[in-house]
Parts: sequence; structure tokens; C-alpha cells
Amino acid sequence: MKRNPYLKIGLTIIGLLMLITLFAPWLRSADPAQIDAAQLLMPPSSAHPFGTDQLGRDLLTRIIYGARISLSIGFIAMGIAVAVGILLGSLAGFYGRLVDTLIMRCADVMLCFPTFFLILAVVAFLEPSIFNIMAIIGLTSWMGPARLIRGEILSLKEREFIQAERALGASDARIILRHLVPNALGPVLVNATLGISAAILLETGLSFLGLGVQPPVPSWGNILIEAKSTLGVAWWIMIFPGLAILVTILGFNFIAEGLKKIIG
Amino acid sequence: MSEQPLLEITDLRVTFDLEGRRLTAVDGAQFSVARNETAVLAGESGSGKTITALAISRLLPPNAAISSGSIRFNGHDILRMSQEELTGMRGKEIAYIFQEPVSFLNPVFTIGDQIAETIVLHQRVAPQQARRQAAQLLEQVRIPDPQRVLASYPHQLSGGMNQRAFIAMSLACQPRLLVADEPTTSLDVTIEREILDLLMELKKSLGFSLLFITHNLAIARKISDRVIIMFQGKVVDQGATDTVFRCPRHHHTRELIQAYEKIGKL
Repeated sequence: MKRNPYLKIGLTIIGLLMLITLFAPWLRSADPAQIDAAQLLMPPSSAHPFGTDQLGRDLLTRIIYGARISLSIGFIAMGIAVAVGILLGSLAGFYGRLVDTLIMRCADVMLCFPTFFLILAVVAFLEPSIFNIMAIIGLTSWMGPARLIRGEILSLKEREFIQAERALGASDARIILRHLVPNALGPVLVNATLGISAAILLETGLSFLGLGVQPPVPSWGNILIEAKSTLGVAWWIMIFPGLAILVTILGFNFIAEGLKKIIG
Repeated sequence: MSEQPLLEITDLRVTFDLEGRRLTAVDGAQFSVARNETAVLAGESGSGKTITALAISRLLPPNAAISSGSIRFNGHDILRMSQEELTGMRGKEIAYIFQEPVSFLNPVFTIGDQIAETIVLHQRVAPQQARRQAAQLLEQVRIPDPQRVLASYPHQLSGGMNQRAFIAMSLACQPRLLVADEPTTSLDVTIEREILDLLMELKKSLGFSLLFITHNLAIARKISDRVIIMFQGKVVDQGATDTVFRCPRHHHTRELIQAYEKIGKL
């Protein structure tokens, strides 16, 4: 922690953001969809620090509730990706040969697709619910963690302590889960932190195109669509969600940078 | 002795597949280890000692294979065992200690975690209980401050300490046979002596057989009941320690002994 300003700044930003989303109902009104016909497109004021939108909804409230959605999508999607990546990557690295070829060529194929369009295609068939978005983002971003884990395990499995474990009677599963994966987690942690911000950006993009989180549930992406139509008259609807995205991504990237310094 | 030996290796042949080229690392090795006996497998580096030792519980690297021979341990044919039977036997019946203790311990777990894990692996005990047993084991291998060592990571301990901890881990399930592959080679002379004394003492109190691998004939002579000399993958000489050292049969044994006598180490 000492002499690691990146980690400090990153953790502060994300920590604050999480506290805000956690205490959202106490900070602002409990209903982000509350319409106030007398307060349409009001610029920032003391009652509405971030202004209101074309339906008179308080923008700050919507951004805070949107943060809940965006952050949970980021974390859960990355959780899925890391879990799948660790599973497939460790199998590929440990067993090698045919298993390795099969899994890693699948990963290569997945990497060839532009993820965003792959997701667009999948979403077109599925209902764009929050759960589906998490699952789809998670299942299309496991390749990075898988490759990292595989690489680490390829070198770790030749280390002597793995042989010692075998001599002590540990099974393959035990060797992978208890001994290889914990030793390989460092680089994956960095990758996963960056992955969270990538997942948040993906979700924002999808929602912006109307294929992500559906209104009236607020997400940073779908607040931005609404901003598009009123851009000429209400700059604040575009600026504030944009800033929220920027600061969040910056926060996660700082954490990743800080972790990288600690680990490597 | 009329009873069957604990470990009996007959005509063991281990070959490596090096990208198409076949290399015979162990060529018809034949020896046995009796219950409660200390046998020393000695020979120069590259003579096939370690590979023979690993073959005993089928721990050979993936490109090596046992091409013929038989290994019988306590009445079981090891070459016919299934993978589950093997993992059940490793650590519980046959345990190993190795040359470089630090690299044979997992760097991300504490000594206590690793010993407790080995106990849980083969015995049905609660983690709490395993933890207590781990502390007792560390006392048994004469570690002066067991609680501190239990909570330490391998890199925080000295080579001698790590080797003691590893011995504790290997003996956790009271194996019948302990295979020690040059366990003192990386340690300095005083620690080497302490570890050897400790092994001999544990052997007496716990009653296991010891197959000790070394290139050091002085150690071989000091600790063994029987010596087995390997040279270029073959067992060239074996017998009771005194007999082998007094009248070696193979010229390679004679050369080895002479080399040691010349530097006054025997």
C-alpha cells in the first residue's frame, strides 16, 4: 500500500462509488423514475445538482441508481469470465495435448470475433434483461483470463512442489485447485480488474444502442441515449453520466495499475 | 530373514522418449528393501538413482515409461495399480523427501497449512485436529518454535528448517517406506549431520524403512544397513554395507571407494 498512489486513488474512487450506490435510497429519493412535469430539462441547481431530464426526473438519482446496475454488471460479468477462464485455462495448461489444443483453439476463435458485434448478435435473439447481459458479457470475455492462467500453469506445473504434492498423494483436482490456481492468480487479478471496466463499457455501449438495460431501469448507457435527443438544449444530461463512466473506468484502471506494481 | 521384503524391485527398466530417440535410464535394476531397514542407493549423478526412486510410486515425468520389470510393495504390484490406488498410497504408504526443500514447498501457503493439508488428505480428521497434529509433528522433528514455524511461509525459513518441516509433512501419515532423495545435499555440513541424526532417530522411534539416495559414500557407509551401487542405469553391486565396502565386486564400486579414500573421507 505504501508508495502506491495508483492503488490508493483507485481504491478511494471505487470505494466511494460503492458506498454511494449502497446507500442510494438514503442519499436521494428512492425512486429514480419519479416524473415531475413542472421540472422538465432544468439545469443543475441546488435541488437537482445534476439537473433534470426531459421527463423531469432527477439526473443525480438516475446516475446513482445507474451505478448500481453498471457496477453489478461489471463485477458479475467479470466474475463469470474469471471463473470460466480459470476452469478452462487450468484444464488446458495442466493436461496439455488434445485438451489444450481444443480449449485454446476455441479461445482463439472467440478472440477473432469482434466481441461487441458477437454480443449484439446474441442479444438480438435473447431478451435484453440485466441477467442476460451479465451472462453474455461474462461468456464472451473468458479468453483473457484463460490464456493467462494457462501460461502460468504451464510453468508452475513443472515446479518441484507440484511433484512433491503428487508424492504426498494429492489428486489432479487437488493439485490444480489448491496448488496451481492460487499460485497463478496474481496476473489474473490485474486482468480481471481491467476486465471489470471493459465490461462496464460494454454494458454502456449496449444500453446506448438500446440492446442493454431497458428503460425505465436507469443505466449509464441508457441515460446517454436520452441525452442524445436533447443535446442542443441540455448539455448536463450528457456530461454527468459521461463523467461517471470516465471516473469509474479510471478508478478500476488505477487499481489494476497498482496491483500490477505489487504483483510484478 | 524369511519374511518378504517391504519393497522388491525386479528387472526394472525405465526408458525416456526424447522426441523419437529412446534412452534407457534404468536398465534392469534389481534390489529389495526389508522392513525397518536403511538401504542406501548410491552412485554418481546420471546413474539412474532418482529415476529408480521416482518409479517406485510411479512419479516419473510424462515422457518416461517403465518398459519392463516389476515393483512389489508390501504385497501389492505397483505397476498394476489404478490411479486412485496410487494417490491413496502415495504419502500414506510411501513418502518422499527431496533435495531442495524450499522449492518442494508451496510458496503461497504456510508450513502449517501444508502439513495439515497432507494429514487431511489421508486421514479423516477435522481441520482443527490436523492443525494440532501438525504442531506435534514439528516438535517431533525438533523444531524449537513450532507455533512460529506453523505460521511461516517457506521463504521465511532456513534450508534446514524447511527440510525439517518437509520431513514432518512426509511422516505425517506414518508411511512404511520413506524415500529420501539426496535430502542433505543442499545443506551445509553441520545441518546435514543434524538432519541425518534426526532421520535415524525418527526411523528408530516410528519404525519405517528408509531408502536413502546419495552420491556421498561417506554418508552411505555411516547410515546404511545395505548399499546398492548404481552405474549407468544398472545395479552393479549390492549387499550388506560392510561387505560391499570391504570387498567390492564391481570395478566401479572399487573406483568410487578409492576416490573417497584418496581424499581421506572414508
